[in-house]
Amino acid sequence: MTEWAKWWATIRISWTKQLAYKLNLLLLVIGPTLVFFFVKYSLWTAIFRVEGITTIQGYDLAGMLHYQIWAMIVGFLAQGYNSMNLAEDIRLGRISSYLVYPFGFWPYQTASFIAFQGLQIIVAAISFVILAASGLLVDWHLSQVLLGTGFSLLMGVFWYQTSYLIGLAAFWLEETWVLRVMFLTVAQFLSGALLPLEIYPAWLLAILRWTPFPYLTFTPVKIFMGTYQGSLSEALAVLLFWLALVSWASQITWRRGLRLYTAAGM
Amino acid sequence: MFPTLRRYLAVYRMFVSNCFAAASSYRLHFVLLIVMDQLFYGSLLGSVDFIFDHVARIGAWDRAHFMFFIAFMLAVDHLHMTFVSESFWDFSFDLRTGRLDFILLRPLNTLFSIFARLIRPATMINFFIPWGFLIYFGRVVELSLLSWLFLFPLVVLALLLLTAIEICFSMLMFWTIEAYGINFLRMQLQQIARWPEFIYQGFARRFFTLMIPVLLVGSAPVHFLFDPRQWLGLVWMLLALLVVSGLIAFFWRWGLRSYESASS
Repeated sequence: MTEWAKWWATIRISWTKQLAYKLNLLLLVIGPTLVFFFVKYSLWTAIFRVEGITTIQGYDLAGMLHYQIWAMIVGFLAQGYNSMNLAEDIRLGRISSYLVYPFGFWPYQTASFIAFQGLQIIVAAISFVILAASGLLVDWHLSQVLLGTGFSLLMGVFWYQTSYLIGLAAFWLEETWVLRVMFLTVAQFLSGALLPLEIYPAWLLAILRWTPFPYLTFTPVKIFMGTYQGSLSEALAVLLFWLALVSWASQITWRRGLRLYTAAGM
Repeated sequence: MFPTLRRYLAVYRMFVSNCFAAASSYRLHFVLLIVMDQLFYGSLLGSVDFIFDHVARIGAWDRAHFMFFIAFMLAVDHLHMTFVSESFWDFSFDLRTGRLDFILLRPLNTLFSIFARLIRPATMINFFIPWGFLIYFGRVVELSLLSWLFLFPLVVLALLLLTAIEICFSMLMFWTIEAYGINFLRMQLQQIARWPEFIYQGFARRFFTLMIPVLLVGSAPVHFLFDPRQWLGLVWMLLALLVVSGLIAFFWRWGLRSYESASS
């Protein structure tokens, strides 16, 4: 079996597995993003309508809701992956099989992620079509949508690689969900998922610029909206730097973790 | 009555003791839990604080009143995370693996055995942040003596209602094979409850007040604490608690009939 065939077979199996429990997929992937959007939509509508405020840091109500709609699409597109099974595989000693099979642990996980990414793209595309057809998404241009999608997919790879690194902590930790929740909490707060980053204090923005967080939500949303004012090449460079760093850390962690691995249950 | 209560207290003491023993075995996990909780508190309070850098009021509340509400919900969340939240994740595992069989055989109320079994000591010792903020903002908004007296009982009442709603939803796990999704649904309800009812409009507000009454959890007690004449919300809370308890009893019996006792 060629290497490509192994990848393709794993992607197909993972796709089937993801779709086996459809309600679960709906509640795990679509539900949280949808509810988060509902809360933000309600909050900002209440702030603008009840208070009679016209603009906050350059956003009027329509602009703010537009921002939140794109944030939801970015969430659907690239922020759904979690490493729950990965950590469980390590803890329960299931990775032993990957050590003897002719298809490694990282390729298997990455192929599963690609299958999951395919589902995310479908969910995001359907959402986009519905929102555009209903008139909630206006003033969008194909070039911006393609650019935003490309940036979001790259960010999705970073999201996956970070989740993978967090999952590898299972070599040392009994539970890794704590690290995952910490990452999600910080990412949600500092990425502009709840509040556009213009609302944050200037000193915080100066620090955030060199971290991966603004590139998780704020930057792709602004690209989609066609209002990104920073340097796109700088954004790409920073994100690629963090992706390389997390990938390198994953390799080191995997090698060190394997030395501790006791193959529980064998 | 009293011998039963004493027996349950003794069992609960044993549950707590076991959880402390387990927590002390995984020290890094213990520390990470503390950090995780603090990040959560910081991000929620920080988000609201940043919003109030740009607006003077949201609805009828200014910064101090809104922050008091958030602190109230963090206090509810603190008790929830400490005393019940872990049990929901274990319940899904019990159902999937058939481990519920052994719990059903215990000479204890099964729901007590399931939902009071696990506590999280790391979150317990983190109490000073949410409760400190609650007291601080309570002083800023100048709560009356009556409100101070009612503060803790109302946090507990809010916890009871939130937990009851979540237990009711967790009964769905009897019919879903993979139950992680139900736990995520439960967490989304918490997310909705973390904001005051007046930010939601029209059908959404009515739905989450009357059908799935999560908006009563924080809003009803906080409105009462600000103005004791607004006691009607508390009556709604008690009524909701009664109805949800009835639903739990109904779905529990129905669920048990559907339980397939996996691996047995």
